[in-house]
Amino acid sequence: MKDLKHLIYFEKLLENANNTLIEKARKEGKLAVGYTCFHMPEVLLNLDNCFSVRLRAPNTGSMDIATYYMSNYTCEFCRALLERSFEGGFNFLDALAGVDACAEMNRCMENIELQKLIPNEKFFVTHADIPYKVEDFTITHYVRQIKNRVLDRLHEVYGVDISDNAIREAVKEHNEICRIITEIGELRKLPNPPITGCEYHVLNMVTYCCPKYLILDKLKKTLEEIKKRKPDPKPWYRARVALVGSEVDDLGLTKLIEDAGAFIVADRFCFGSTPGREEIILNDEEDALTQVCRHYLEVSECPRFMSNEKITQRRETADRLAREYGAEGIIFEQIKFCDFWAFERALASYIQEKEYGHPVLSLDRPYNARSSGQLRTRMQAFVESLEIKRIQKGGGGGDVKE
Amino acid sequence: MLKSNLKWAKKNVPQDLKIWKELISEVDWKDVGKRVKEDLKAARDRITDEAKTVAAMSGKERIDLLVNGEKHLGRLYRPGKIAFTRREWRGVEGTARDFAGWLKIWGVMMGMVMQDPVSIAEGLFEYRWFSSYLALPAFADRNNLGLRGPHVTMANELFLPVFRYGANTIATLLKADERLGNNQKIRKKMMLFDEMTMSQMMAGFPNLEGVPYQLMPVFLVSEIDQLVCIPYIDAVESFGLPSDTCPVPTSECGAAIIDALPHCGLGFISTSTPCDGSDMATSYQDRRFKMPTYPLTLPVRYDDEDTVECGAEDMRRCIEWVEELTGEKWDWDHYFEVIRRFNEQTNYEMRKWEVNQTPYPQVIGPAYELFRKWSYEMDGGLDPRTMKTFKRVDKMMMKAYEKKMNPYRAPIRHRAIVWSCPAHYYANFSNWLQNCWGIGVMVEMESLNFTKMLNTDDKEEAIRDLARLYERMVMRKHTNGGHVHVLEELWKQVEAFNVEIVIMYQHVCCKTMSGLQGLFDEQARERGIHLIWVEHDLMDPRTVSRRDMRSKVNNYMVNVFQEEPLDPSLVEFEDDVTW
Repeated sequence: MKDLKHLIYFEKLLENANNTLIEKARKEGKLAVGYTCFHMPEVLLNLDNCFSVRLRAPNTGSMDIATYYMSNYTCEFCRALLERSFEGGFNFLDALAGVDACAEMNRCMENIELQKLIPNEKFFVTHADIPYKVEDFTITHYVRQIKNRVLDRLHEVYGVDISDNAIREAVKEHNEICRIITEIGELRKLPNPPITGCEYHVLNMVTYCCPKYLILDKLKKTLEEIKKRKPDPKPWYRARVALVGSEVDDLGLTKLIEDAGAFIVADRFCFGSTPGREEIILNDEEDALTQVCRHYLEVSECPRFMSNEKITQRRETADRLAREYGAEGIIFEQIKFCDFWAFERALASYIQEKEYGHPVLSLDRPYNARSSGQLRTRMQAFVESLEIKRIQKGGGGGDVKE
Repeated sequence: MLKSNLKWAKKNVPQDLKIWKELISEVDWKDVGKRVKEDLKAARDRITDEAKTVAAMSGKERIDLLVNGEKHLGRLYRPGKIAFTRREWRGVEGTARDFAGWLKIWGVMMGMVMQDPVSIAEGLFEYRWFSSYLALPAFADRNNLGLRGPHVTMANELFLPVFRYGANTIATLLKADERLGNNQKIRKKMMLFDEMTMSQMMAGFPNLEGVPYQLMPVFLVSEIDQLVCIPYIDAVESFGLPSDTCPVPTSECGAAIIDALPHCGLGFISTSTPCDGSDMATSYQDRRFKMPTYPLTLPVRYDDEDTVECGAEDMRRCIEWVEELTGEKWDWDHYFEVIRRFNEQTNYEMRKWEVNQTPYPQVIGPAYELFRKWSYEMDGGLDPRTMKTFKRVDKMMMKAYEKKMNPYRAPIRHRAIVWSCPAHYYANFSNWLQNCWGIGVMVEMESLNFTKMLNTDDKEEAIRDLARLYERMVMRKHTNGGHVHVLEELWKQVEAFNVEIVIMYQHVCCKTMSGLQGLFDEQARERGIHLIWVEHDLMDPRTVSRRDMRSKVNNYMVNVFQEEPLDPSLVEFEDDVTW
């Protein structure tokens, strides 16, 4: 396939947490609000003159300082963010919108806060309480928390417009991004798709990590380009897989998987598009904040939710995505030392295989996967096993049917 | 009832006998004989050694031995043996007190057996964990080491209601177990809840039998026998769970996988407390339990009064769920009566803290720590008999305080506080610190729980208080809801209890605590506090052994304090398999 015109541009934006578009927006007087978790409604961090930045620490090397503060038994994502904060990599932030959903990330943010690692005078960190199940009263609680701990703080400290109208405006922009990403994502269903899983990961991550109004134009053009893009006559991949699990912001991982011949057709992980890139449909009867909060709780697939319907929802979503997108297997991944995904991965991978009939590869991985030969070998072996299964089913050898 | 017992026997006895027969046929009797000889020789050598020591003593030393007991406790341990070589000699008075306590423990155990001898006997063969409870007297012995005078009685007084509760809970579980007693009368009123939540909600349901489901097969038994949960951990890890998760939810999941929990209960109240691992254990347990479950999920940022209503509403719905499931109605009168008792107990608890903040601490050590944890979380004022224990111990404590008594044989050289997820009981650590190095533990983190007097007249406010209490369950009060509860709180307590050493348990799988490791270190240095990090992995001693835990303190005391131990026989000894 011909390279996408803006792909290198987008990839460059992902090389640093503080990319050129963030700098540009800041120069324009916009406020950068960092966040790390789906539980913090992204769209509400894009009100008025704010823009959301989902934090990551690309090209992380040593994490020695963070390891001193958080020990070597904690999640590498959290430690990488703390290390990057020590290095000054997040000095552009005006606020950090945290959620007390995962203890490790909460501690990471507390370290940033207590050690005053972000030098901006008005910078603040907030920790919202997040429910474990979706009920009428937990939605009320969630709305109150987001309002008190995030919106009101933004308003008090920076004078941000947090009105219903402002929320509806932000939702409009958010939905536009979602429509583009969803449309691109739908193309992965094709037997010989005009986009790879890794390219999709780049495009989707850009939408999380950059001011939306500054990428919209190029995203639209990229969508048109992909629609017209002519795939190679023979599909490039050896097998189709769904990637399910904890936070993946490492392009090295998706590249590693696709280099092994596995096309990532569905991305059901944190920083992926399911959930995250569904449109938020608002009605005029109820206030926008409540509707937005309800949306986030309902579509969330976080393993932290412990009610039965949410546990079932997670299993069914993984199964549905695998079937809809024609995945031949599911890769369940978990960033090392993540408690939630550790428990979830072990059980869900078993259930998907035994009860839903999907071949599964279950692995825990470092934050930066690029140097892991062991991971590469496991991916290759999984792809081979999927090919063998196809042969056994009478679907041909290494060739994928168009 | 008997019918199901017979069914069990019919199913299991023939194959069990076959296994026993095989086991016996595989025994190398020569080797057994050799070991018995070795044991006898070791016993002879020990007795000779002890006799020589006594013979070499002056008259004054012999009187001291007779009155105050022995000083070298390391000789009670023998490498590779599960039991002590003998009981501790605490002097005439101390030994008599200890013996009385020991008899009472056996009384409790016999009382359990007599509730349903057949089901209890069958339970011994059905459940691996049950046999570990036979080590209960050894557990009490271990955790009373070094105590003297009325403090021996106080420790036994504190242990006894915990043991009584444990024995009754085991008996109830086995009697109700579908596979054993299958007692319909009990089954019809049995409401199960997660061991990692509180029990006070059951105060509103006096006709129901509330049981913390995993407490006896998992958590409490692991305090008695640290090796008992290893098969659970292995089971779930072989299933794919990484080994870096907390052994408590890991063991709970493993116990569910290998079907180690009795089959009973009308429904199960699962919980998000205390931490992320516990939250996640629910999905594993649900698959095994196959019974109606209510997820009781409480806000984490509990200091924020705006979160209280969410917790309170969850409480109300949980109560409604129990009512619907069981047909029972919430009884406010009974609830208030229990909570009034609980409030009174909180006052008694605070008196212990007050005394321990003075230069003459009295109720310290594992018995106090375990009793506090149990009375706060599991008894919760439900059993009126516990009140008597509070009163008796308080009376003894105040008497001892007036006399400025020292609880231990050895003097307290350093005042310490224990912080983070503790591992006292596995390692008998609080007692060992005192007996070996003279480090007296004034209080531990998990004792310092919620002290608000819970509302006992306004129904709305009472439910909100109940939610506040549940949010502040043991450990969660400190490890959740922000650094202020555990980091700043430590320095407050250091000042209040006037301590110079913090025994900082570093539970290698507790991410909540690990995330503040560097800040603890830095802030302790700034304040000139001796922070001794002691790594452990709760009920998985394969990660960090008890010996390794002790070596951390030994190294610090030798190299930093440059002190000699009070009891050199306790510096280095092997207890890898000792109860």
